[in-house]
Amino acid sequence: MGFLDTLFGKRERSSDIARDRLLTVLVHDRVKLTPDMMEQLKADLSAVIARYVPSVDAGAIEVTLLRGESVDHLKADIPLRRTPQKL
Amino acid sequence: MSRVITITSGKGGVGKTTSTANLGAALAMQGLKVAVVDADIGLRNLDVVMGLENRIVYDLVDVVEGRCRLRQALIKDKHFPDLCLLPAAQTRDKDAVTADDMIALTNQLRAEFDYVLIDSPAGIEAGFRNAIAGADEVLIVTTPEVAAVRDADRIIGLVEAFEKGHPRLIINRLKPRMVSRGEMMSIDDVLQILAIDLIGVVPDDEQIVTSTNRGEVAVLDRSSRAGRAFVEIARRLAGEDVPITVFDDNPGLLNRIFGAFGIRPRGSER
Repeated sequence: MGFLDTLFGKRERSSDIARDRLLTVLVHDRVKLTPDMMEQLKADLSAVIARYVPSVDAGAIEVTLLRGESVDHLKADIPLRRTPQKL
Repeated sequence: MSRVITITSGKGGVGKTTSTANLGAALAMQGLKVAVVDADIGLRNLDVVMGLENRIVYDLVDVVEGRCRLRQALIKDKHFPDLCLLPAAQTRDKDAVTADDMIALTNQLRAEFDYVLIDSPAGIEAGFRNAIAGADEVLIVTTPEVAAVRDADRIIGLVEAFEKGHPRLIINRLKPRMVSRGEMMSIDDVLQILAIDLIGVVPDDEQIVTSTNRGEVAVLDRSSRAGRAFVEIARRLAGEDVPITVFDDNPGLLNRIFGAFGIRPRGSER
């Protein structure tokens, strides 16, 4: 890991990587959502949303746990397929 | 009023025993009466770090099970007459004592000493719970590494669940040069993640290895940066208002030039 790499942005500083990994690990430790439960959560979410928005792309839903200053966040990114408009 | 302080970490190998031995010696240097207790039943270590392994006759389990009186099991330190070690049993396991035994034991020690420092075993099981059972306060040792900080976070939660107040943090084996290169998490990174009060920062110091080889504590060696950091932590522990110093690694070019002229920068303040 050279100074030049950092300068030209080739590689992220390993201390930043450590901090980010820790933040993710800790929030998962605390919230206790297993990968299985996360998958189930995604499936349930897409089922509910599909009732209102049929174009939801169930396979592409991303749910992430984020650590915030005072509260943690469960963030869902729910992509919708663009269907050709009917005239 | 005597104080019982447990030193713990969750993860093994981050410096609990070294911290206990050095803080005990540093408090004794202040003229206080100190007992250090090895609560790692079955994996006795504090005795060898302090160089007292040849003097053990009785141990903590002997006291708890009534085979000897507390005073018979206490071993006087080689350098500080007011510092005593209560060694762990080596041939038993953590189930040999209960939390109630530890509370009774610490209460007995309170009558004789100003400070009782308990060296906790790693982990979050019975051994750890016994080690904090009789404590008024807890110090948590971590290193600036992902695994150690993760375990420290877990331990902080448990210490608070056991109503031992807000533990304070010792960041051990910091390498300031690596931090400045962005190759090691900084003090602020660790504090932000753990949201806990800092009581001191101990730099990585090869002299710890050589002093431990000899069975001497680093605080005896005034040239040891880690030793000086422990002396500062002990003063803070005793209530003195000492700003946190980060004793730097190997002197850089500028420091060497200053050093050649007899000027020795002490380290940088946080």
